[in-house]
Amino acid sequence: MPFEVLLPSLSAGMEDAVIARWLKAAGQEVAKGEVLAEVETDKATMELEAEVAGRIGALKVAGGGRANVNDVIAVLLLDGEDDSMLAGETPKQQPRKVAEPAPAPMIAPTPTPELAKPTPAGPRHSASPLARRIAAERGINLSRIAGSGPKGRIVRIDVERAAQAASTPIVVPQPAAVSAIPAGIGDYEAVPLSPMRRTIARRLVDAKTTVPHFYLNADCDVDALLALRAEINEGRDKGEQISVNDFVLKAVAVALRKVPEANAVWTDEAILRLRAVDIAVAVATDGGLITPVLRDADQKSLGTISSEVKALAIRAREGKLKPDEYQGGGFSVSNLGMYGVKSFTAIINPPQSCILAVGVAERRPVGRGDEIVLANVMSCTLSVDHRSVDGAVGAKWLAAFKAAIEHPLMLLV
Amino acid sequence: MPTFTDLTPSSFWREIGATREDWAALAPALGGTMLVEMHLIRAFEEKVLELAGQGLVHGPAHSAIGQEGGAVGSALALRRSDQVNGSHRAHHQFLAKALSYLKPDGIAPAAEFDGNIRDLSKRTLAEILGLAQGFCKGRGGSMHLRWAQAGNLGTNAIVGGGVPMAAGAAWAHKRAGTGDVVYTYFGDGATNIGSVLETMNLAAAWKLPICFFIENNRYAVSTHVEEATADPRLSSRGLAFGIPAFKVDGMDTLAVYLACEEANRIMRAGEGPTIIEADVYRYFHQNGPLPGSAFGYRSKEEEATWRKRDPLEAMAQELRERQVLSERTVEELRDRCVALMNEVAAELIETVDGKRRIIPALWPEESFRDFGLRGDLSEFDGVRFAEQETFKGSLDPEAKFIDTVADVMTRRMEKDERIVVLGEDVHRLKGGTNGATRGLSQAFPDRVLGTPISENAFTGLAGGMAADGRFRPVIEFMYPDFMWVAADQVFNQVGKARHMFGGDSDMPLVLRTKVAMGTGYGSQHSMDPAGIFATAPGWRIVAPSTPFDYVGLMNSALLCRDPVLVLEHVDLYASKGAAPVDDLDYFIPLGKAKVVRSGARVTILTYLAMVEKTRLVVEDLGIDAEIIDLRSLDRAGLDWATIEASVKKTGNVLIVEQGAAGTSYGGWLADELQRCLFDWLDQPVRRVHGAEASPSISKVLEAAACARPQDIEAALRCVMADQGLPLAAA
Repeated sequence: MPFEVLLPSLSAGMEDAVIARWLKAAGQEVAKGEVLAEVETDKATMELEAEVAGRIGALKVAGGGRANVNDVIAVLLLDGEDDSMLAGETPKQQPRKVAEPAPAPMIAPTPTPELAKPTPAGPRHSASPLARRIAAERGINLSRIAGSGPKGRIVRIDVERAAQAASTPIVVPQPAAVSAIPAGIGDYEAVPLSPMRRTIARRLVDAKTTVPHFYLNADCDVDALLALRAEINEGRDKGEQISVNDFVLKAVAVALRKVPEANAVWTDEAILRLRAVDIAVAVATDGGLITPVLRDADQKSLGTISSEVKALAIRAREGKLKPDEYQGGGFSVSNLGMYGVKSFTAIINPPQSCILAVGVAERRPVGRGDEIVLANVMSCTLSVDHRSVDGAVGAKWLAAFKAAIEHPLMLLV
Repeated sequence: MPTFTDLTPSSFWREIGATREDWAALAPALGGTMLVEMHLIRAFEEKVLELAGQGLVHGPAHSAIGQEGGAVGSALALRRSDQVNGSHRAHHQFLAKALSYLKPDGIAPAAEFDGNIRDLSKRTLAEILGLAQGFCKGRGGSMHLRWAQAGNLGTNAIVGGGVPMAAGAAWAHKRAGTGDVVYTYFGDGATNIGSVLETMNLAAAWKLPICFFIENNRYAVSTHVEEATADPRLSSRGLAFGIPAFKVDGMDTLAVYLACEEANRIMRAGEGPTIIEADVYRYFHQNGPLPGSAFGYRSKEEEATWRKRDPLEAMAQELRERQVLSERTVEELRDRCVALMNEVAAELIETVDGKRRIIPALWPEESFRDFGLRGDLSEFDGVRFAEQETFKGSLDPEAKFIDTVADVMTRRMEKDERIVVLGEDVHRLKGGTNGATRGLSQAFPDRVLGTPISENAFTGLAGGMAADGRFRPVIEFMYPDFMWVAADQVFNQVGKARHMFGGDSDMPLVLRTKVAMGTGYGSQHSMDPAGIFATAPGWRIVAPSTPFDYVGLMNSALLCRDPVLVLEHVDLYASKGAAPVDDLDYFIPLGKAKVVRSGARVTILTYLAMVEKTRLVVEDLGIDAEIIDLRSLDRAGLDWATIEASVKKTGNVLIVEQGAAGTSYGGWLADELQRCLFDWLDQPVRRVHGAEASPSISKVLEAAACARPQDIEAALRCVMADQGLPLAAA
């Protein structure tokens, strides 16, 4: 029996991916553990290894094509098998064009947007009996759900998650509206949506429409910081120099240790106060924004933070981050200071509760005693999820951050 | 040159014949009764063959025409309270025993037949036709005729299969001291089968009042006795077992009667079993209305020679010569017998459009199909049930499982004198090979019976005791795999008896055995028999996983009127758990599972030693799993309410058992679950069981062949992943 190569789930919640490049062609021998393809997920590009040795019988998805998790993307012929085995296999791989059964009257009356658009002739959805029954009871269209069971089978938990999402009163952009091309825009180039771009879009819409944001601003005097930085970097190789952002991350870590209530994750059941100080750092890449996570930032020296963040950023830009390098974290930092941005507000990265938007450090007139002097000032804006963190807590955190960043020697101990 | 010394058998082997003096001494009333019974039987058998020829008998009709002398000669030597059983060819014996039960004072040749004889004929014919008014309500047919009241224990379609059961009835007579005897009738073919030879040995060893009555009619279907054995004088078998044996001309009814009187004297004196070999001849083929010569395995001349010695003719001639009967009386007797059978047949059969058929209203209702597969458990009305969690008495938390096994049996045997324990070495070695019967043989020496190594015989013997009802046998299989050795008795006899004989005869038997996986006893000693027993609906199965449950479930097994398999496990013997200190009298219902651990994400169905192993894995992985100890494993005993509620809660099922794949238990359960609870399942029912191969003796291979904790863990990881909740890697 030929071995079916399924698209594995490479990260929690991953639903599909693009087979960026096949490294093997039909007919080629493959050793166990040899790399078959590069798979581009919404977050990263991963290498897919062969689970067994064999000969490529067929590639089911062309290079650059998209596949769902647990789809058969290739078939390996095992020892002693030939293409005739494949012929027997092929019909099974074809998407079955089975008409979706007409919705039974008992479920039809439920007036949900999902049901309003029944798919007349979509593919058959693999779903567990329990998932089907719950979906029927709650009026949920299985064709809109990705399955997390074997071979993409929709199981109970998928339907329950979908039901939960459907019951949240938010405006979901209609696919029709998105695909509609606005009138009068003239000539244009269509940039296909990458998995990463889709994920960014989905998550940010979700965040901006469901998370009740509020914003706190503070101007931080960073003269002392810049002086200290210059001293530290003197004689250091350029590649090893400590950045302002490294100081910012260290100060964030110190503030999170002082005000742990801000290091929180919102769920429907509980607010999870995180024990570890893991900070997500926004990194711009060609494909879009990604936030690798700096683990245990409070326990690391500036030097360590600096080198780790550099390494993460490099891997992020190369699309080589592993899921455990970009998942988790209770707090994000987004720094646009290097672009000369004075100040901005950032969208929270759910399910985290806070994100700090950091502007440029520039010389501005400030009051010092009775005098107006020029000092290096950096404007920071904290976006806060009011469900998990109240205004006073946010203010307390921002004060702690300001104190840390303005007294940078504290960051060295 | 070695020396040679001739050895002499410990028992005699002799031919017995009726002399002229014996014939002269035959009481006219007894001779007349013999003639009447033989004529009734022959007319009955001719009617059966006639109906068979018309296609009205569904299944075989094994006629005994020509063999009446053996049946009548022996049955008339019996008391009303003596008992018989027989084989597939037993209409004649059944009728002979019933007639002598109904008419202990005999039947005069000139007398009209009364209602009793008419009813007997009709109910027997109705049974052979498969009708509701038959002795077994139409279930048994020609080959399973039982009328316990008349001493007919039930005839048997397995060659030799009824012989061990007859020995069980004989054991009960001996123990009860009634002086009654049991005749087990079988043919020349059955003499070579293990059940018969094993039972001869056992009956002789225990001096049971049973007569092995061999009807040597020369042919096992078409195979001649001389082809089948080196000594076709089948009574010679007695010499091997120390059983007094008689050979007699079965066509000579008086000679048979005299042989039986001799045998009865020996048996009623407590001197043990006897063998009577009666040379007889069936005039027809194995079944149906054609002679054997039509099938080419014997000649017409041979048939004609035997027919010249017809027992009815011989008896009539003797009585005529002694002027006891006239020619006309004999002719009228024959006519009345034929008329009687025509009359009773006419009440069962009608002619519609020129074709004869069974009167439709006489068939059993289809709804009767499964009735009485098992008893109704009304014996549990009013008994005291207990569970460990709510137990009022004091508990010893550190009781050894094996001690509890012996303790509860001791308690029951003290309270119930009917209980008898049988098995290999159960009376020695301080309680058998594992100590399960510790102390019993000292306390109850005559009720703890160490058996010869003959599982088929002692299982059948226990089945006969149970069917008799005066005693409650508890048998032990040292290893479960021995059930295959005793398979006929376990499954064809004990397991089917209640249903096959009409649904209302009890079979209160307990079978104990221990699963021994892990002891290195290899392929033939390491099975879990639950899966196989679950295929036999007559059997109930319990599998206690704790000492406390063992007490309650063993008490219930002993109270139950159905055969109950009590499964034990060597791993549990050495385990410790809570057991009652002084209250060994509570029951646990047959058919009640136990939720060992409550959970929401997966229902784990398991039993016996796998319960605790499963629990440890679940706790270790921290899974939100519900563990159900099934406790009762048979179809009727499955606690569906508990299982259904759990599956509806969790949506996922894992069945965990230890044994090999082929004989495994979980397959049918998975089938039931997916059919009954399909819409509640989030994934296919998953199972853990052992390998395809039986466990080997090599320690490493044995461990690999039995389901282990890592197998449970792997399955649980799959169950969780396949519902979208993968566990973190270990």
